[in-house]
Amino acid sequence: MTSAVSATADWEQLEDRFYRKILLYSELFGPDYDLNDYQIAGAPFSGAIALYKNDDVLQEFRSGAAQTKPSIEIYSSAGKLIRRIAYDKGPIRGLGWSEDEKLLVIAEDGTVRCYSDLQGDFTQFSLGHGVEMVRVKEVRFWSTGFVALLRTNRLVAVSRYDEPRPKYLADPSPYIEDAVIHSWAIIPPAYTLSRHVEVLLSTGSTIIVLDPTDAQDQDLQNGPFTNISVSPNGKYVALYTTQGKLWVIKADFQDKLSEYDSGMGSVILPRTVEWCGNDSVVIAWDDEVHMVGPQGHSLKHYYESRVHLIPDIDGVRLITSDKCELFQKVPDVTEDIFKIGATSPASILLDAVDQLEKKSPKADDNIQLIRSHLTEAVDTCIKAAGHEFSVYWQKQLLKAASFGKSVPALYSSDDFVDMCETLRVLNAVRYFEVGLPITYEQFIRLTPEKLIQRLVNRQQHLLALRVSEHLRLPTDRIYIHWACMKVRQSTDDEDSICRTVVAKLQGKRGISFEEIARTAYDEGRGRLATQLLNYEPQAGRQVPLLLNMEEDEIALDKAIESGDTDLVFFVLLHLKKKHPLANFFRIINDRPFAAALVESSARETDLELLKDFYYQDDRRADGAHVILRESMEAKDLQLKLEKLKVATKLLSDSKDHVLEAKALDESAKLLHMQETFERELNERFMGISVNDTIFRLIRTGYSSRALKVKNEFRVPEKRYWWLRLRALVAKRDWNEIEEWGKTKKSPVGWEPFFNECLAAGNTKVAAGFVGKCSNLGYKERLDMYMRCGLVLRAAEEASKGKDLEALEGLRSKAVGRDMVEVERLIKILKGGK
Amino acid sequence: MAPVVGIDTASIKDTNLKDLLDLLEGVRGKKVLFLDRTLSGPIGLFAKFSVLQDYGVDKIFWLDEPVTEHAQKNIVYLARCTVKNAYAIANQIKNNAKIPGQEFEYSVFLTPRRTLVCDKIFEDEGILGEITIRELPLYFLPLEPDLLSLELESSFEELYLRKDHTSIFYSARALMSIQRRHGLFPRIIGKGDRARKLADQLIRMRTEEDVEDGTGPGSLTPSSVLGELIVIDREVDFVTPLMTQLTYEGLIDETIGINNCKIELDASLVGPPQPQTQSGNVDGASSSRSPVPTASQKKRPVLLSSEDKLFDNLRDTNFAIVGSLLNKVARRLNEDYEGRHQAKTVSEIRQFVSKLGGLQQEHQSLRLHTGLAEEIMKQTRSEMFNKALEVQQNLVAGVDPSTMHDNIEELIARAAPLESVLRLLCIESFISGGLKPKDFENFKKEILQAYGYQHVLTLDALEKLGFFQSRITVAASTATRTSYTNLRKPLRLIVDEVNEHEPDDISYVYSGYAPLSIRLVQCVVQKPLMTAAVKGRRGEDGTNAGVNAGAVGWRGFEDILKSVKGTTFDEPQRGEEKAVRARNILNGQNDKKVTVVFFLGGCTFTEISALRFIGRREDAKRQIVIGTTAIINGNNIMKAAMA
Repeated sequence: MTSAVSATADWEQLEDRFYRKILLYSELFGPDYDLNDYQIAGAPFSGAIALYKNDDVLQEFRSGAAQTKPSIEIYSSAGKLIRRIAYDKGPIRGLGWSEDEKLLVIAEDGTVRCYSDLQGDFTQFSLGHGVEMVRVKEVRFWSTGFVALLRTNRLVAVSRYDEPRPKYLADPSPYIEDAVIHSWAIIPPAYTLSRHVEVLLSTGSTIIVLDPTDAQDQDLQNGPFTNISVSPNGKYVALYTTQGKLWVIKADFQDKLSEYDSGMGSVILPRTVEWCGNDSVVIAWDDEVHMVGPQGHSLKHYYESRVHLIPDIDGVRLITSDKCELFQKVPDVTEDIFKIGATSPASILLDAVDQLEKKSPKADDNIQLIRSHLTEAVDTCIKAAGHEFSVYWQKQLLKAASFGKSVPALYSSDDFVDMCETLRVLNAVRYFEVGLPITYEQFIRLTPEKLIQRLVNRQQHLLALRVSEHLRLPTDRIYIHWACMKVRQSTDDEDSICRTVVAKLQGKRGISFEEIARTAYDEGRGRLATQLLNYEPQAGRQVPLLLNMEEDEIALDKAIESGDTDLVFFVLLHLKKKHPLANFFRIINDRPFAAALVESSARETDLELLKDFYYQDDRRADGAHVILRESMEAKDLQLKLEKLKVATKLLSDSKDHVLEAKALDESAKLLHMQETFERELNERFMGISVNDTIFRLIRTGYSSRALKVKNEFRVPEKRYWWLRLRALVAKRDWNEIEEWGKTKKSPVGWEPFFNECLAAGNTKVAAGFVGKCSNLGYKERLDMYMRCGLVLRAAEEASKGKDLEALEGLRSKAVGRDMVEVERLIKILKGGK
Repeated sequence: MAPVVGIDTASIKDTNLKDLLDLLEGVRGKKVLFLDRTLSGPIGLFAKFSVLQDYGVDKIFWLDEPVTEHAQKNIVYLARCTVKNAYAIANQIKNNAKIPGQEFEYSVFLTPRRTLVCDKIFEDEGILGEITIRELPLYFLPLEPDLLSLELESSFEELYLRKDHTSIFYSARALMSIQRRHGLFPRIIGKGDRARKLADQLIRMRTEEDVEDGTGPGSLTPSSVLGELIVIDREVDFVTPLMTQLTYEGLIDETIGINNCKIELDASLVGPPQPQTQSGNVDGASSSRSPVPTASQKKRPVLLSSEDKLFDNLRDTNFAIVGSLLNKVARRLNEDYEGRHQAKTVSEIRQFVSKLGGLQQEHQSLRLHTGLAEEIMKQTRSEMFNKALEVQQNLVAGVDPSTMHDNIEELIARAAPLESVLRLLCIESFISGGLKPKDFENFKKEILQAYGYQHVLTLDALEKLGFFQSRITVAASTATRTSYTNLRKPLRLIVDEVNEHEPDDISYVYSGYAPLSIRLVQCVVQKPLMTAAVKGRRGEDGTNAGVNAGAVGWRGFEDILKSVKGTTFDEPQRGEEKAVRARNILNGQNDKKVTVVFFLGGCTFTEISALRFIGRREDAKRQIVIGTTAIINGNNIMKAAMA
């Protein structure tokens, strides 16, 4: 690829544009590898290729290696075997890749395996919903998911692989003619209006568009279609009819863009129809390939053996048993420069370098010619270099750019430097040992980080590290992966593995030793795992693995250390399930943090556990409280009392809780009394307090019973007076109050009587108590009478207190007879002076 | 409030909303939302129902509501990641499976994070395969530009009663998010054992982040925007929240109760419907189930925020002057309205009309707050309220508590709310190191007989919390206690002359008692003032800078802090020399820094008011931002003990 072949040697013109077929790698599989027998799937962005021997073709024995066990082989685009994966799940109905190069294998019974790192490690899930009975027929993939077509013509979609949730799409059966689906394709969610994957089904003469909730008939007349293919940008659909015609329409089925007659008629149907970029379609028969342009013209290529097509965003890879080619439209910048008779500034600039090498003065003439377009020319050269696979032409173009950019006074070299860096990376990964023939555009879309991940998955750790450092990207993942591989594959003894790994990784930021330790554990190297885990800086991370390793108490301690209650609780759940209760309690008892969590959660969800916990810890009072709570919540009186009894018993065992035990005794007594009252008085009493019981009894007129309660519970006199007062006021039993007021002494004083009656609006009764408040001064009493609206009485108080000023103040408030009286009092007071 | 220079709280709000909407958008089509009851308030703080509707939410139900019919195929759960919720969700999904002929798509959004325990429960219940679990990382919810709350309602109960440290972990995460954005706090200062745990957790997270983050150019470096982080463990000062708050906002909280910045008011008080509160916050949603309330009892939610300019002026003032302030506003408003008579020319009239909208809004707000103040006044005028107030003021002032017992007994006999009685008894217990055994037993008996024997559990909880204890228990325990007696003088907890109109000291928020928690903060941020106080002089605006002017952290108050419960700490966080310098050059050296005061276990509105007061005084040097696990008051605390 380095020789100075003309840059246009592999170009072909179709309509007004050029296409090129670049030979990426040759001597791929060797001649005796018959690709006819294989199902092939290639990962997007020029990724790995998976091969699986077709079941449909009769098994045949190959020289030497008898095909006893079915297997999937993963190759690089250069034909280097990366991994052979044994597969025993029966017939494969779907083989495909996600954009991050996970290999998906879907078995006929709906079992999905997701191989995440090209190394045979997989996660497995099932399409569920009884798919194993129905059977999978075919599968179509997009960058992050797939749709499976079942034999019942139902479709199941999976849109992510980290937490797969298979979902049925709408049922198309009412639309399907004779239950035959001729062909189908999907539009990835990123390109649909509903933001959900849509499916195009060819049935009868028409096409059905299906999403999760709806099916819609597009009312086409030209079907049935044997092939459907959606362009990479989701905007166009290519349909191949049984008459051998190719139709290109818009994805909304509004416009037909072109029609092409393959000339094959209805006899020989193509194997595949795929898009090459977004503007042309490639139709492949067994050994013939037509490339159809936007106007319906075509280029034809012929091969000696079967050709497999692997579409990508900007082209299509053609795989035969001896070579791997890339078919793509020549990028505009490249066309600008190399097109025969090109006169673009960039092309003149490239020519200038040629002249320069020949030491011809024309070099400068060229520069002067394009002087005003120099920046543009340099940019174009840089871009074109990116699109070039030939190192020779890359160099030439960069030289041109370098020469050109030295002329203008100010030119930012950033793009130039970036491109140089990028090309170094691209050339390195395109090298046949690595076998990633990624194009510049794919590289930009894929991002350098993901490219590095791909290198790591191919065990190219050193290269990945160099690339990372070259592009100033983080290297932690590479180190971790390397260490995991080391742990998995090394045959050294565990100590030296640990030493090697630690020596290499210590002091590097972002290294998770937990991941490495987990790998060691999964490989059955328990001791190594423990050793490695000690280097994990995050306590929390160590926990799940420690649990797996049955290091339960260490796990609990680490969880506590992390301060994350969720983690602690998680460990506790695990321990509770695993250990006998006594043992479980023993573990938590000397860890207050954990014990508190158990206690508080048991309080909400598991009272029995809580009781056991208190019992084993000899916390009788706490245990009693749990039972008391149960008693309170019990509806049935008998049960209430029983529980109360148990609680009382538990409490009276401890000498610190004598008072409480007594209180509970009282409470049982109260319940008994209340039950009696309810029976006798037909009034609700159950569950209210002693005070409220007394209050209610008095208010409903059962004073003697109230007195009985008072004596039974030794309610202090003061409190009883208050209760009685409030209850009588509430009952508005003024007579009783006045009668009661004749008592000589009140333990609460008489103001409460005044206040309560006044607050209840009875000024007359209230006023009756003013006189009894002998402990108060005349001023307060005066004020009290005023609040009852009794000016005259207030005046009398004032005169008793010999307060002329107050008396005169009252004069204005008095009316009628009162005024006369007030005047008289004033006169007396004045006279008395 | 001052324009935001330091912590951009608005952007936290935006992020919260964006995260929620992203999740909703991830579920295609119309959906039914099942919401954790305790989340409706917090979510209402940043998302309106109409916005959720725009994102396809068709109907909202409470998670604990039994709903048997679903109009939509998509069912979304949004809940805190508790064990209880996980079971509730699992049960609903399992029940739905019994509905014939219907298939559902389930999404479960857990906040603030997806936990291993919930995953495990879903797995054990056999529904893990049917649901899509996502997380909604709600940590700090900005209530005001200077107030960030985690709104963990039960954080107090969990931390102190259940000894469950989840909220410490969440607090650390919340503070970490601020550090990630603005750089490290150069110092973490704090008081209290749990505060220490929080600081340790923060430091641990920082080192873990350093290791974790392989990509970053360097580790977290000290911020040039942030000053110190002061962590106050609620345990340090339990008396303050037990006292009756006497600021306007505090009293609203005491009498009506503020939840997530909202209060429920009689429709008659609110007046004609206010478009902004009416048009549906999340919590107004589940009307499908509640019985139709009659017009008279109908409550309406009202949002209290600084966007209401009148409220912003009133919220931090002592309630005593609210009346006169309202009066002033009413008169000004009246004059403004009268202004229409002066308007003669057309342009003058136009000018007036353009002002009219603002006037009407102000009018509306005035009517609301006048009504509200009257409502509160009904309480503050009552005899019982004043009796309780008198008792607590005397207790904190150090009057012999036995003289107060008659009053407390009377309150009990008159069936005062249990919360307020317990608050008084707890204050007494804190101030005098437990009650005398005889009194202790007597009050226990009084309470059990007056409020019911079920309160054996309440009293037990209070005893365990250390709120209500006998002197014997106190003497027997080795744990240190906050000694209010020792602190009263040096920290000037009691201030006799309080100027409520032109406050000159934070003690105005309790009309004479200065919250200890805030005095401690002052020890860090107003050193000269506090030093003067310690030395016995009245603090005169810090003219006596003395030796301590340049001191940082707790320096100078070490002895005093010995009388306060819990560990004292002061951790500088340093970064690589180079990185620090780079950061300083990039951001410029800010002279004015943001001090974050974080209350672990909750804080009261009075404490917020007091900090705002200090913030205004220190405006030249620093901006104070308050963080808390929740906003609490004495009643909440007592309710937690009663649960």
